[in-house]
Amino acid sequence: MRFATDTGGTFTDLVVEDDDGTITLHKAPTTPSDPVAGVLDALRVAADARGLTLAAMLALGDSFIHGTTHAINAIIQGRTARTALIVTTGHRDMLLFREGGRTEPFNHAHAYPQPYIPRALTFEVSERIMAGGHIVTALDETATAQVLDAIARADVEAIAVALLWSTLNPVHENRIGEMIAARFPDMPYSLSHCVNPTLREFRRASSAAIDASLKPLMGTYLGSLEARLADAGFAGRVMVLTSAGGMVDACEVAAQPISAINSGPSMAPVAGRHYAWREGGFDSAIVADTGGTTYDISIIADGRVAMTRDLWIGEPYRGHLAGYPSVEVKSVGAGGGSIARVDASGLLHVGPQSAGAMPGPVCYQRGGTLPTVTDACVVLGYLDPDFFLGGKMQLDAPGARRAIEAHIAAPLGVSLEEAAWSIVDLATEAMVQAIQDLVVNQGIDPTRAVLIGGGGAAGLNSTFIARRLGCPRLLIPETGAAMSAAGAMMSDITAEFAATVYGNTARFDGDAVSAAVGGLAARADDFIARSGRPGGTQFIAEARYEGQAWEIDVPLPEAYFSSPAAIADFRARFEAEHLRLFTIVDPASEIELIGLRARVQCSARDSESDFKLTMEQTEASPKGSRSVYFAGAGRVETPVWRLDALTPDRMFDGPALIESDFTTIVVDPAARFWRSAPGAILIEERRS
Amino acid sequence: MTSASFNGAQMAVLRSRLDGVVRAMSNTLLRTGRSGVLNRARDFSCCILTHGGDLVTAADSLPIHVLSGPDLMVKSVMEFHPDQRPGDAFLHNSPYHGCSHPADLSVIAPVFDDRGRHRFTLLAKAHQADIGNSQPTTYMGEATDVYNEGALIFPAVQVQRGWKDIDDIIRMCKVRIRVPQQWHGDYLSTVGAVRVGERNLTALAEDIGWDRLEDFAAQWFDYSEARMAEAIAALPAGQVSGSSTHDPFPGLPADGVRITSHITVDPDQGRVTVDLADNPDCMPCGMNLSEACARTAAMIGVFNSIDYQVPKNAGSFRRIDVRLREGCIAGIPVHPFSCSAATTNIADRVANSVQTALAGLQDGIGMAEVGAVIAPSAGVVSGIDPRSGKAFVNQVFLGMSGGAASPGADAWWTVGHVGNAGLCCIDGVEHAEIVQPIIVHRRAFVPDSEGAGRTNGAPSTVIEFGPVGGAIDIGYLSDGHINAPVGVRGGSAGGGADQHIIHLDGSSERLAACAQVHVEDGERILAVSCGGGGYGSPFERPPETVLRDMAEGLISAERARTIYGVAARPDGSLDSETTRQLREPTA
Repeated sequence: MRFATDTGGTFTDLVVEDDDGTITLHKAPTTPSDPVAGVLDALRVAADARGLTLAAMLALGDSFIHGTTHAINAIIQGRTARTALIVTTGHRDMLLFREGGRTEPFNHAHAYPQPYIPRALTFEVSERIMAGGHIVTALDETATAQVLDAIARADVEAIAVALLWSTLNPVHENRIGEMIAARFPDMPYSLSHCVNPTLREFRRASSAAIDASLKPLMGTYLGSLEARLADAGFAGRVMVLTSAGGMVDACEVAAQPISAINSGPSMAPVAGRHYAWREGGFDSAIVADTGGTTYDISIIADGRVAMTRDLWIGEPYRGHLAGYPSVEVKSVGAGGGSIARVDASGLLHVGPQSAGAMPGPVCYQRGGTLPTVTDACVVLGYLDPDFFLGGKMQLDAPGARRAIEAHIAAPLGVSLEEAAWSIVDLATEAMVQAIQDLVVNQGIDPTRAVLIGGGGAAGLNSTFIARRLGCPRLLIPETGAAMSAAGAMMSDITAEFAATVYGNTARFDGDAVSAAVGGLAARADDFIARSGRPGGTQFIAEARYEGQAWEIDVPLPEAYFSSPAAIADFRARFEAEHLRLFTIVDPASEIELIGLRARVQCSARDSESDFKLTMEQTEASPKGSRSVYFAGAGRVETPVWRLDALTPDRMFDGPALIESDFTTIVVDPAARFWRSAPGAILIEERRS
Repeated sequence: MTSASFNGAQMAVLRSRLDGVVRAMSNTLLRTGRSGVLNRARDFSCCILTHGGDLVTAADSLPIHVLSGPDLMVKSVMEFHPDQRPGDAFLHNSPYHGCSHPADLSVIAPVFDDRGRHRFTLLAKAHQADIGNSQPTTYMGEATDVYNEGALIFPAVQVQRGWKDIDDIIRMCKVRIRVPQQWHGDYLSTVGAVRVGERNLTALAEDIGWDRLEDFAAQWFDYSEARMAEAIAALPAGQVSGSSTHDPFPGLPADGVRITSHITVDPDQGRVTVDLADNPDCMPCGMNLSEACARTAAMIGVFNSIDYQVPKNAGSFRRIDVRLREGCIAGIPVHPFSCSAATTNIADRVANSVQTALAGLQDGIGMAEVGAVIAPSAGVVSGIDPRSGKAFVNQVFLGMSGGAASPGADAWWTVGHVGNAGLCCIDGVEHAEIVQPIIVHRRAFVPDSEGAGRTNGAPSTVIEFGPVGGAIDIGYLSDGHINAPVGVRGGSAGGGADQHIIHLDGSSERLAACAQVHVEDGERILAVSCGGGGYGSPFERPPETVLRDMAEGLISAERARTIYGVAARPDGSLDSETTRQLREPTA
């Protein structure tokens, strides 16, 4: 038996996989001050459902897989360790300069951001390595010892080291690491070339600083998690999800906590990849995970979860650039709580202001007075005021109508329904624009991709989003409301190792590249051995045309550059990828190799699994009907189905509403739908 | 033609969809451009105009590129090519016909419906690494005229017919522009951006209808105009004059050039007038403004001073009257006066004169002065790379700050200059060292150089760098040494610019403000950029913020005491009593 949890802001989701490969979903409220308590509560719910004690169920478990926002929340809330940064002399302000760039050129209300490590805690050491990797100024160890004295006086809890060109020649960073270990035996420290060996010193320094600052806190947190699970009766492996969409043993995250910084959101696409393949063999997909305040989008391209090197903590340009590779998850500030308003000149706006959970939408009756997207869904008839969250919460439909009438319909001069539809339409538009930016960046064609809607609110407008994007199919997985936890259960044990190595197709230094490949392969093999599971390694070249600034990832079957044929093969693979992403190739240009990465993947389970959700089939008949407003059609009496009452593989025409305890799916008159055998809802355009 | 009007919800959706078309264009340019000035510094802009040349949207483009200019360029294309066809595209960089300056090579393409009617026009403008000047720089301040400047100038010259290049033009460029392969890569990116825009706009029109899209544009202009009128109505009525003085450069008078703007704010009518006619005539140098930059710089000063949410398009622009004089250095240039550096130096002085003048109207309005440019740390470097034996030329962005204080917030430090607004990126040290044969010895902010105020301007940057393995040339035009960025409403000036060369023997020599300098292997350039001015009295700055800056080593204890009136105890905590006394008004 295996357990996978995803700790969200409101609920902790749990997926339990039984030994026959079937899974079940459970939820418990999150305790913000003690996330482990929510995990244990969810486990208790699962044990109750099986008629077991918590200890008896945990005793059956082989592994516990944990997604956590503990690291990123600590950064956002400023609870990380007091950390010093050591840099090359002359470059103390590395974290202050950042990489430039800004949004909203005429908005002067935002002061320049403070650096991640204060300037007062940033220290210079005399040393310099050149672009080729050779040393022009040797490390001044006497001065370094004095810097460590100053750091001792500064009363810090962790140290980061980021020297120029340490990726090509780590000798100085390593030596400083030894000096730190000797001077402060218990002090956690992070060396930039180990944490994030990339050719951009700001990103490397930022990653090292964030990593070091998280070590004390994450070490304590994960230690406590393991101890409390052991106390409760669990004797298996504790695994933690990483930003790269895989999992590793908790001790690996404690040693490099930045690897788990985007731990939670990176799981939805892992689940999405599984469902996209299962429901129609799609190898490209757009995965949306909806919450009350945000709409998170990720991409599957060529069967791979799309990654980014531009992970921001906080708003782009105004927050901190982590610089660390992560699954690309774009978050749009549009959700059920987004507030609609009409400005003085008559234009409708939806968001970015949100009513959040408190006071929440008007219909929640918690004091909200401004109309939101959820209120619009009530007015349109999408949401049943008497059956919200399976009837757990009564909604105030007249309140929602009054708010939309007063704040939107009257100033726009349109009917109540038209006003409500406009709110949903504009929120849809914001989501569509964000998806379109992302599909361009990741080079996928939405007209050949499936749209996957996860999270409780995905069903409300995903039909409209799929149509705008031209996606041939919309898929609402049976685990939709707990898609991240399901993704955690599906993920493999993975790690990625990187090396900076420069090459150019005009003049390849085969020896340097071979040495880098050898080093990566050794680290990969070591990781596979540590994981104790069967695994394999894939190499990825980071490459670009000569003169370009942004490199692209080129998967390589074998990382050899020793013969002209191998270099020709490298060029062919690079150009295929460049064509896919940018629609152009330039055969006259040389290609530069900037770095290599080894991606290690070890299977977390002994056999393949289809992760079949245990569902009860109930009687196949509509639950009734209600009046729903659709643009272009007006009010239509619309059948309402219980999700678990739909006969598998039978096609129905829209309009329809499909309800479960977690979600409502809206199918408009132009669409049709069916339930697949494993329990997903699939929606397509009706054939005319 | 239908006359159906859109409600506020439909307008919001269409606005978003048109912005999406522009973002797809920009993304293409960023990700495929070859020269650093495009792919790292993002010195490019994309926009959609009506077929008649009214700017519809230029989402998040560089302000100095797009507020005015695209409109003038499209009108010149129509004048020279009254019979445009689908698949046509035109090269345009003539400052005498609407372009900002010759380095901003633009591709303009009309978009037709399937019945052959010209509906909209797309424009992508990209700052080139080189444009064929007589010197390897794209900002040739010392150019005595356009002939001495030597740029290839394209006054709306057709470069594509039937979506295919007219190769005559491409060949001309390849023999006259340095590092032609890099140029051609950038050209392909720019054309690619326009064609991506054409494809996406056409798809949108298939969904919405061309007539409806045109109706939307008209109604969007009216909405934007109404928003602009509201924003101006929130200002106090009045007439103010502002000035900002450019340092002496080759071809400029010995005491520099004082730029003056006379501004009238009429909140009742919802109009602002900026009169730039009271300025000197064109001068025999590369510093003359193009009409596009003169107009745009004045508008930037206005938009920096009002509600930032007003859409920037032909509708809101109706509420700003910019009065220009032909033959004026900050007006409409007369051929053959050179406009090589029109987007930066004098243009920055125009925008600064407007926003500092507006700050004089009332507390809470306007901004302090943004620092001047272009220090050698953002200069154009060229030479032969000893590692490959190949020629290179590129603008580097090693360091710049310049941000001015606004009424409500400290500056965004790395704005570059007022016309850029901080959108440009800064080169990573390692990246710069791999792309060019240089070493960056030092890159820092300069303590005690911030423009002190209730809110602060940025501190200066200092960059020390030089060639590795061979000599390089570097061109720059560094304004702001004598006329550092001023503060407003009691705020102080930010740090001024300066530059030196450090020879192999360690001796140092001050360099001219505007020059093309040859730097030998092992020598170093030491470049100090301008900071930015402060807003309001430094005595009103919260003491805890002053102490934070002191703890960070950004200001000295002496400066905290004398400039801000804040005293700290030896442990760095606030000495409230002394601070109170220091801040007491002197009788």
